[in-house]
Amino acid sequence: MASGGGHSPIEQFVIKEYVPLEAFGFNASFTNSSLYMVIAVSLITGFLILSTKGRALVPTRMQSISEIFYEFVASTVKDNVGPQGMQFFPLVFTLFIFVFVLNLLGMIPIPGITFTVTSHIAVTAALALLVIGIVIFYGLYKHGLGFFKIFVPSDVPPWLLPLLVPIEIISFISRPISLSVRLFANMLAGHIALKIFAGFIGVLLGAGAWAILAPLPLALTVALTALEVLVAVLQAYVFAVLTCIYLNDAVHGAH
Amino acid sequence: MPSPDKDDAITRGQISPQDRAELRGRTDELDRRLQQARGEDHTTPETGRQEPKATQTTNKGLGGSLRSSTEMIAGVLVGSGIGWAIDKVFGTWPAFFIVFFLLGSAAGMLNVVREGLKMKTGPSDPKKGPSVPDDEDDN
Repeated sequence: MASGGGHSPIEQFVIKEYVPLEAFGFNASFTNSSLYMVIAVSLITGFLILSTKGRALVPTRMQSISEIFYEFVASTVKDNVGPQGMQFFPLVFTLFIFVFVLNLLGMIPIPGITFTVTSHIAVTAALALLVIGIVIFYGLYKHGLGFFKIFVPSDVPPWLLPLLVPIEIISFISRPISLSVRLFANMLAGHIALKIFAGFIGVLLGAGAWAILAPLPLALTVALTALEVLVAVLQAYVFAVLTCIYLNDAVHGAH
Repeated sequence: MPSPDKDDAITRGQISPQDRAELRGRTDELDRRLQQARGEDHTTPETGRQEPKATQTTNKGLGGSLRSSTEMIAGVLVGSGIGWAIDKVFGTWPAFFIVFFLLGSAAGMLNVVREGLKMKTGPSDPKKGPSVPDDEDDN
C-alpha cells in the first residue's frame, strides 16, 4: 500500500485465473502463470525453429544466437558430466532455456499482466523434483542398487560410516529443496525489492519538499533493474549447472 | 559446430564418397587449426568460450555466493525436519531433533564445500570426471 499507485509490492505475484477449468477435482485453470509459460514455450520453439531453418554452414545472426545457446549448454554439460552426459543435453537445454526465458519475460513490465513464473515455488519445486527424479531413476537403472553407494563416501574408516551415511542422505534430500528455493527466492526477493524501491519514488514525490530526494530511489531502481537482469540470467545458468552436477552422480555413480 | 552439418549431410546421402572423404579431411584440418589457435590465445579449449577470464570468474563467484547460503539452509531444514518427524512418531522429543539438527548442519556444510569445490575445479580440469573409466560395478 506504500507505493504510489496504491499497489502492494507482492501484488505482482497473485495468480489470476483467466479460464477457470477443473480436472479430477483439481483446479487446472488457465492462469497468468500458464499464459506466461505458453508464451515462453512458443517464443523458444519459434525462435529455435526459425533461426535454424537455414542450416547455413556460415551462420546468420539468428542462427549464431541459437548456436551460442547450444554451445553454452553443451559445454556446461560436458564440463560437469563428461561426454556421456550429452544424452541428457535435451533435458538440460530445455530446463536452462525455459527458466532463462521465463526469468527474462518477468523483467518486461506490462502493467497488470507481468508475471514471473519462476517466482512461485510450485513451479521451481516441480522442475527440481523432475531433475532429482531423473537422477534417482537413471541412477538405479544404470547402476542398480550400487547407485546407493553415492551415500557411502570412499576412503573413510568404517567406524565413521554410521555418522557419515546419514549426513550424505540428508545432503542428497536437501538438493531438490535448495535447487528450487534458490531460484524461487532470488526471483521473489529481487522483484519485491524492485517494486519497493520504485514505490519510494511515488511516495517521495507526494511528500512536499521531500520530492527533491525522489531521484535517489529512481537511480537505485535503474541499478536494481540491471542487477535483476543479471540475476535472471545467472539463476538460469546456476539451475543448469546444478542439474548437471546432480546428473553426474547418476551417470558416474559413487564419487 | 561443423559435426551436425557434416553428419546430417552424410546421412542424407547427398554427398559422393570422395567428396565425403575430402570434407572429413577439411573439417579435421579445421579442427586442428582451431585447437592450435585456441592453444595460442589462452582460451580454454574445453569450453571454447571467448569471454575474458575476469568476467567469467566474477560471475562464478557471485553465483557461488548466492548458492551456498541456500545449500546451508536446505541442509539444516531437511535434517531438522527428519529429526522432528522421528520425534513426532516415537514421542521422543527432542532427542532425535537435536541429533538430526546437528547432522543436518553437517550436511549443509558438506553441500557448501562440495558444490564449491565442484564449481571451482570442474571447468578448469574437465578431464577429471570423464577420464575416470566408467566402471559399472552392477552387483
